[in-house]
Amino acid sequence: MLEKLSTSLKGTLSKVAKSIFLDKNLIEELVKELQRSLLASDVNVSLVFELSEKIKTRALKEKPPKTVSPKEHIIKIVYEELVNLFGKKSYELKIEKKKPFKIMFVGLYGSGKTTSISKLANYYTKKNYKVATLGLDIHRPAAPEQLKQLSDQINIPSFISKEKDSIKIYKEFEKEFSQYDILLIDTAGRDALSDDLIKELSSLNKKIKPDETLLVMSADIGQTALEQAKKFHETCNVTGVIATKMDGTAKGGGALTGAAATKAPIKFIGTGEKINDLETFDPTGFVSRLLGMGDLKTLLEKVEDAMSEEEAKDLGKKFLKGDFNLLDLYEQMEAMSKMGPISKVTELIPGFSQLKLPKDVLQVQEGKLKKWKFILDSLTQEELENPEIITSSRIQRIASGSGTTTREIRELLKQYKQSKKVMKLMKGKEPNMEKLMKKFKGKLPKGFT
Amino acid sequence: MFKLLKEKLSKTVSKISETIKKDVETSPEETKEKEDIKKGGIGTAGSDVLKKVKEKVTHKKLSEDKFDKLFQELEITLLENNVAFEVIEKIKDDLKQEILNQPLKRSQISKQIKETLENSIKDLFQEPENLIEKIKHKTEPFVIVFFGVNGVGKTSTIAKFVKLLQKNNLTSILAAADTFRAASQEQIEEWANKLEVPLVKGQYGSDPASVCFDAIQKAKSKNTNVVLIDTAGRMHSNTDLMDELRKIIKVSQPDEKIFVGESITGNDCIDQARLFNEAVDFNSMILTKTDIDEKGGAAISVSYITQKPIIYLTSGQLLDDIVKFDKEKITKTLFG
Repeated sequence: MLEKLSTSLKGTLSKVAKSIFLDKNLIEELVKELQRSLLASDVNVSLVFELSEKIKTRALKEKPPKTVSPKEHIIKIVYEELVNLFGKKSYELKIEKKKPFKIMFVGLYGSGKTTSISKLANYYTKKNYKVATLGLDIHRPAAPEQLKQLSDQINIPSFISKEKDSIKIYKEFEKEFSQYDILLIDTAGRDALSDDLIKELSSLNKKIKPDETLLVMSADIGQTALEQAKKFHETCNVTGVIATKMDGTAKGGGALTGAAATKAPIKFIGTGEKINDLETFDPTGFVSRLLGMGDLKTLLEKVEDAMSEEEAKDLGKKFLKGDFNLLDLYEQMEAMSKMGPISKVTELIPGFSQLKLPKDVLQVQEGKLKKWKFILDSLTQEELENPEIITSSRIQRIASGSGTTTREIRELLKQYKQSKKVMKLMKGKEPNMEKLMKKFKGKLPKGFT
Repeated sequence: MFKLLKEKLSKTVSKISETIKKDVETSPEETKEKEDIKKGGIGTAGSDVLKKVKEKVTHKKLSEDKFDKLFQELEITLLENNVAFEVIEKIKDDLKQEILNQPLKRSQISKQIKETLENSIKDLFQEPENLIEKIKHKTEPFVIVFFGVNGVGKTSTIAKFVKLLQKNNLTSILAAADTFRAASQEQIEEWANKLEVPLVKGQYGSDPASVCFDAIQKAKSKNTNVVLIDTAGRMHSNTDLMDELRKIIKVSQPDEKIFVGESITGNDCIDQARLFNEAVDFNSMILTKTDIDEKGGAAISVSYITQKPIIYLTSGQLLDDIVKFDKEKITKTLFG
């Protein structure tokens, strides 16, 4: 369904881009397509109509600057207004120098508060902050144990108690908090419209006086997002939103609605069950995802994180020179695996989502990559640097050494040769994308050239 | 649940029928015919003509264009109440077929629209079977697998269901087949202790299917009535985890496969229900967190997409917060 919608939105956008004149009808068509896409992505209904009205008025009224064509202008308006929804505040979470900097997490049950806390704890521990967690979810069975197990995994302390009064637990440990740079506080999840939760949260809020209060919202939440977010905001002044479960098929329109309702920006997004599955928020990327279009910026950020700059430069040089051996393929794979599953990485590359690679193909590819890593681990340094010397008797040895079959090793070598050819094509001059894609046996997505 | 949708629906329906009425009254075509008759006087054929005119004025066909315009209002109402986009399109088609090209009696416009809509939505809900009766009829342990996306409330739902079984004098055993999420084992253990039912636990990171196998063996040897299998939450789009679920089902050969979903999920509930259904062809659904959602749209959406019955609705964190899903009652609440 969404695919259909985003295709028709893309169609309209390209119609706009191709047209010489922008008439009222075309603008109206565009606004309508936009409405449909956003509604199917769970953005709040009145928010959608408000937004589309704004776009329409601006598009009809505003005259584009002389250097900008009318169609470029309207695409810019659409983009600007969408990004405006996220609020213009900073999306970064600034940790102030005080001990401790307190971040409280609130949200409905099952939205992923405890998992998000462990991800953030990991994120800031890696940045050399001294982090601790505090479990104040006294209602859900085994919630404190979950927080403790997750904190243990990354070797940070967690304050939990069997006590059934959250204020008492806070007081119990209060003296110890000043040893830490950041304290992440888990609270009970419940319906924000229930009176007892509101009571508990507002008294906690008064006692703790958190420096940041993050509202955790699942990407798949529907139209109920607005009232829930509003109520949480009234109770404990939300300063930021975390959109979780963004690795599924949900588009996060509900989380966006939450951000618009609380006037608090989305600060992080959760993209999986593992501790590293956390991304900082990027509004343009989010809009792209909402509308089903790829985003290069987030991908670049991921590559940067995974590969140190020097490594990247080195590899880049080799790419261009065309000497590319198995060692480089290995490094490349390592870097890729640091970036997360291939399926996720390719999703972020503009154009790739349009190639419509089936998900299982990507996952099969992932399984293959793991095996290839075993194979590469079984090679000698000489073989890695100069793969041409690998004969069939060597292949036999490698197969038994890595627990794979000779067929798989030959496949890897074939892949290496292909990659090398591609690298040669890219050598020196501007890469010829068309030729390159033919090498990959893929089709160029429309509008890619 | 459904309270808000009900209010909105009746408002919208009356608004639509008002628009149609107005439209009938001001239709220039009819005014012209009325005048023609006045001019022509009333002859022998007069009574016939009069009859025709009367029919024209009181019966009105709707053009497709006009229908689309009128439906917009209803569309927004349904969207606001969290019904998925795809399902609204289906409702639109149903209504269109019924209402378009069929003369509408002016006095019954409102009734007709309401009835069509009611039927359209009622058709979406499947008749749920009586699970408790089904369990009572089996002599061997009755095996139920619960699955769904992360954080929907599978474990709490299982606890509530055990309480329900206890009220019906049925014994149960729990299988903690979520060996992935931190403290999942401890969570279900707390419920097992509270409910005083046996639990088969697994090692974190171990094969969940083996936990199911152990629990079923234990149930057979102790003549337990029901085995309830708690699985790890998984994203419907993750093929590896869906394969794992298939394996759990292959090993445990369940009598009932229950998809647990949230009533607060938006458009994505369609993909979730569809992909789980495609993967394991489940028997029925339970919707959770109905205390949060007053809108009820997700119930309509998942029923349409899977053609499978919703059997229970759960809310809150107390053991008794589980009610049977009653198709008739809900359609009645919706349309009063």
